[in-house]
Amino acid sequence: MSGAGATNAAGAAGVTPLVATGAAAAATAVILLVAADALSGAREQATREEARAAASLYEVPGVTEADVVSLLDGRARIVAPEAGGSGPGAFAYRAGALQPAAWIAVEPADEGNGWPWAAFVLALLGVLCMAAWAAARRRAPPPSRYPAAATLLCAALFALVAAAAQQWAHGELGAVSSARLARGLRAAGIAGAAGADPEAAARVAGLPWASGAALGEPDRIWTMPREAGEAIAADPQLRSAPRYTVVAGGATYHGGAVALREGPAGRAETPAGTLHLVFLGYEETSSPTVALIASAIGSALVVSLVLFLLPLAARPRALARTLAAWGFLAPAAALLLVFTFGPLLFSLWISLHDWRLVDPAHPFVGLENYRALLSDGGWWSAILNTGVFTLHVPAAMAVALALALLTRESRRAVRWARLALFLPSVTSVVAIAVVWKWLLNDGYGLANRALGAIGIGPVAWLTSPDVALVSLMVIGVWMVVGYQMVVFQAGLAAIPRVWYDAAKVDGAGPWQRFRHITLPGLRHTLFFVLVTSVIGSFQVFSLVYVMTEGGPLGATDVAVYHIYREAWEFLRFGNAAAMSWILFGVVFAATWLHFRLLERRGAHA
Amino acid sequence: MTREPRAVVLKGVRKRFGDVTAVADVDLEIRPGELMVLVGPSGCGKSTLLRLIAGLEEHDAGEVWIGDRCVDEVAPGSRDVAMVFQSYALYPHMTVAENLGFGLRVRGAGPAEIGRRVSEVAEVLGLGGLLSRRPGQLSGGQQQRVALGRAMVRDPGVFLFDEPLSNLDAALRLQTRDEIAALHRRLGTTMIFVTHDQVEALSLGQRVAVMDRGRVQQLGTPHEIYRRPANLFVAAFVGSPPMNRLRLARDGEGRLAGGPFVFPGSSPHPEATLGVRPEDLTVAVVAPPASGPPPGSAGTRPGPHPSPEFTATALRVESLGSEQRIHLDGPDDAAWVARAPSALRIAAGDRVDVSVAWQRTHLFGPDGSRTGAAPQPGRGSHPGTPA
Ligand SMILES: Nc1ncnc2c1ncn2[C@@H]1O[C@H](COP(=O)(O)OP(=O)(O)O)[C@@H](O)[C@H]1O
Ligand SMILES: [Mg+2]
Repeated sequence: MSGAGATNAAGAAGVTPLVATGAAAAATAVILLVAADALSGAREQATREEARAAASLYEVPGVTEADVVSLLDGRARIVAPEAGGSGPGAFAYRAGALQPAAWIAVEPADEGNGWPWAAFVLALLGVLCMAAWAAARRRAPPPSRYPAAATLLCAALFALVAAAAQQWAHGELGAVSSARLARGLRAAGIAGAAGADPEAAARVAGLPWASGAALGEPDRIWTMPREAGEAIAADPQLRSAPRYTVVAGGATYHGGAVALREGPAGRAETPAGTLHLVFLGYEETSSPTVALIASAIGSALVVSLVLFLLPLAARPRALARTLAAWGFLAPAAALLLVFTFGPLLFSLWISLHDWRLVDPAHPFVGLENYRALLSDGGWWSAILNTGVFTLHVPAAMAVALALALLTRESRRAVRWARLALFLPSVTSVVAIAVVWKWLLNDGYGLANRALGAIGIGPVAWLTSPDVALVSLMVIGVWMVVGYQMVVFQAGLAAIPRVWYDAAKVDGAGPWQRFRHITLPGLRHTLFFVLVTSVIGSFQVFSLVYVMTEGGPLGATDVAVYHIYREAWEFLRFGNAAAMSWILFGVVFAATWLHFRLLERRGAHA
Repeated sequence: MTREPRAVVLKGVRKRFGDVTAVADVDLEIRPGELMVLVGPSGCGKSTLLRLIAGLEEHDAGEVWIGDRCVDEVAPGSRDVAMVFQSYALYPHMTVAENLGFGLRVRGAGPAEIGRRVSEVAEVLGLGGLLSRRPGQLSGGQQQRVALGRAMVRDPGVFLFDEPLSNLDAALRLQTRDEIAALHRRLGTTMIFVTHDQVEALSLGQRVAVMDRGRVQQLGTPHEIYRRPANLFVAAFVGSPPMNRLRLARDGEGRLAGGPFVFPGSSPHPEATLGVRPEDLTVAVVAPPASGPPPGSAGTRPGPHPSPEFTATALRVESLGSEQRIHLDGPDDAAWVARAPSALRIAAGDRVDVSVAWQRTHLFGPDGSRTGAAPQPGRGSHPGTPA
């Protein structure tokens, strides 16, 4: 730890701490940036909700402009619609039910300076410590111990930074949500004073069950112990009490409540005098555990990167090549990460939560969504429909293979068949679906008119639960047959003609040649087409969406359409994500099984 | 194999692919039990001819007879022929045993019979340990044997081979060639063997048909083909190194002349080509002036030394171990090659005396066909050997 050691010029050994320090600083910056971004997002969100609450409040009869301004701590302006509601730096919201429309404009919250200075200083301290340590070790560096020491230091440093950043972000978020909660409660208070009932008050406060959820929803109404209830009842400021924090499932909820006294005039079936505490607002702040795990993974990545680069540091050419290679790979890897693995993991995350769009809190429920699916008849009937629909794949493959064989000998026939049959594959599915919907219309559809001309009664192509799915399967065949045929033609062209010559001389007839040469020669192609088509069929959506909307009577409700409705009509994202993962599991298992079978059968081919 | 071998007869067979005439009016008779080799340069129509016999192509004119029936309307599988392809055409998804048994299986033979025949053939060909492998796990030579076995299993009346050895390395090619010859002796079946390699053709065939541009140029025993080539094409195609040639023209007195040679007697043709095989040239190194005994004389052909016809310069000497090939600037600057015993001491740049064994030379008329041997030039007394 001598000064002389520290002032020694950096030699080859100095590369190690330099690289490690650089990596540490970069990672710190990234963590801080992410934390700051999360915070500003939370603030913005809080401001939006605040504005929405204020707008709702304005709709409550008896609530004056002054009330709204007071709720927003004087930061609100009520502006005329013509004004557009968007002053400099203001958020504007339309209060939907107001006649005439009015706008509530809210200045964005400006709290804190947005930068986690404390964490920054801590990180800087850590970096300095490490630099000092590295300098002290410089004299006689035991090279074998460098990686281990560097790993330890990096890990410690990152844990430190992550914890600091997390602590800070957590506190900040907690403050944001508490403030929002307080405003919600105040809004409820104002609305209550203006004569609105508690339900309206909750709606004004922009809180979950205000958006149409029933008051009786059990997990939103907490029945308190008698003493607590009486304490609340004794409180003159009933509506703004109590406020509490619940830590559950790794997340922190800041909550507030209004108490409802059930009187004889209220709900008849409730025993008189019972107090219900309505959980009016709660705010989840993300759990420190998750952030710590994330930063641990991040640290591990950075450390392993450093360890990977360390041995290369002594060989600049190799280092340059490696860096160049990673440079070229980076864009593709980043795209993959952001647009493929990111959403995938996010949906997995969602599927473990009770995630509804109307509800700002997403409590962790573990596998509850999956468990619920087991007994969800609608979902399983959708799966069954998907399975039945998928039967169109083997039919299409048989047709496509026959066409490919028929057009095999003639180049011109190949070209024409391709042109005619490949068209559906390059046409928008929606356009196809619209045309088919028109063709298959019960009354004026071409299909029924043609049938009528030869005296066959109209068929309810898309309106009969027995026929609709079959109709869709026929259209499915028509859509994929061209693509499959082209792939089969390519596969056939790859089978050496001499095999057929040998088989002919051996005495094999056309069927035997097909059975013993064409089919085995095509089996990779067949497998490829089967797997891709089955996956495609499992994902069928547009066809159903445009033509039948899952009807009639759910007869064409397929898995993806079901998921779509669960998410975007019923806004139950947790369930929808769980369904997606089950679908994924099914497809994955099917593909894996296929691959295994193929591997075993074709190991020596 | 108690099988009656079959004759194969082609009568005026013609096959065109668009503008290309692959086989032009070929008449050919392959005798029962004969091993006939079709040889010719690439693209001359050998494979097409073989495929016509197998029924894999349909001819445009003529007839194909196998045994005592015309097979023009008979499917390949019913012609009683088996074919071995250059690429072997083994089915990659079947084991060796399945490949061998395929021909029997599609004909509806029972598993017991298939098993018996397959193991018989596998034993003959030494494939016993490989029966459960797939073609992809075999070496080239083993694949070749399986292809051979697949033809043998059905015990056909005629074997057709389309360049079956050309994918093998040199040593294996020699070995397999011998094995096919031995197989032919054993089975006594008619075999038609296509190759582009004239050495293979001469060594294997009982009779050889040399083809060029869709026609049979000469049909004969290997000895006839080599010693009495019917025309310039056959002369040039057969033999390695190829026959030395010299263009001759009629001089003022009606005699053929070219280079140092003037041939006696008046010629009916305005011009002709002289052909001399490299082994029919004898080379002796010219003694350098004011030196001892001629250094090359010990290595020349034994017996009376013929008087030299001309002198030339050795441009390059290839030593092959058993013999030497000497590249010469021949008469009229034609590039000639002579074969000499390896004992001859000679180096590039040496002047050499060259003598010619005239009774073994060839004269070809203006249309390329052989007219006989060339008479000894200059002396005028040597009568032309009848062709
Ligand atoms: N299926 C075919 N289509 C068109 N031309 C062909 C076909 N098969 C052979 N030919 C032509 O016929 C000629 C003879 O071919 P081939 O019998 O394969 O010659 P090779 O003596 O090398 O075996 C060649 O000019 C070749 O291009
Ligand atoms: Mg060929």
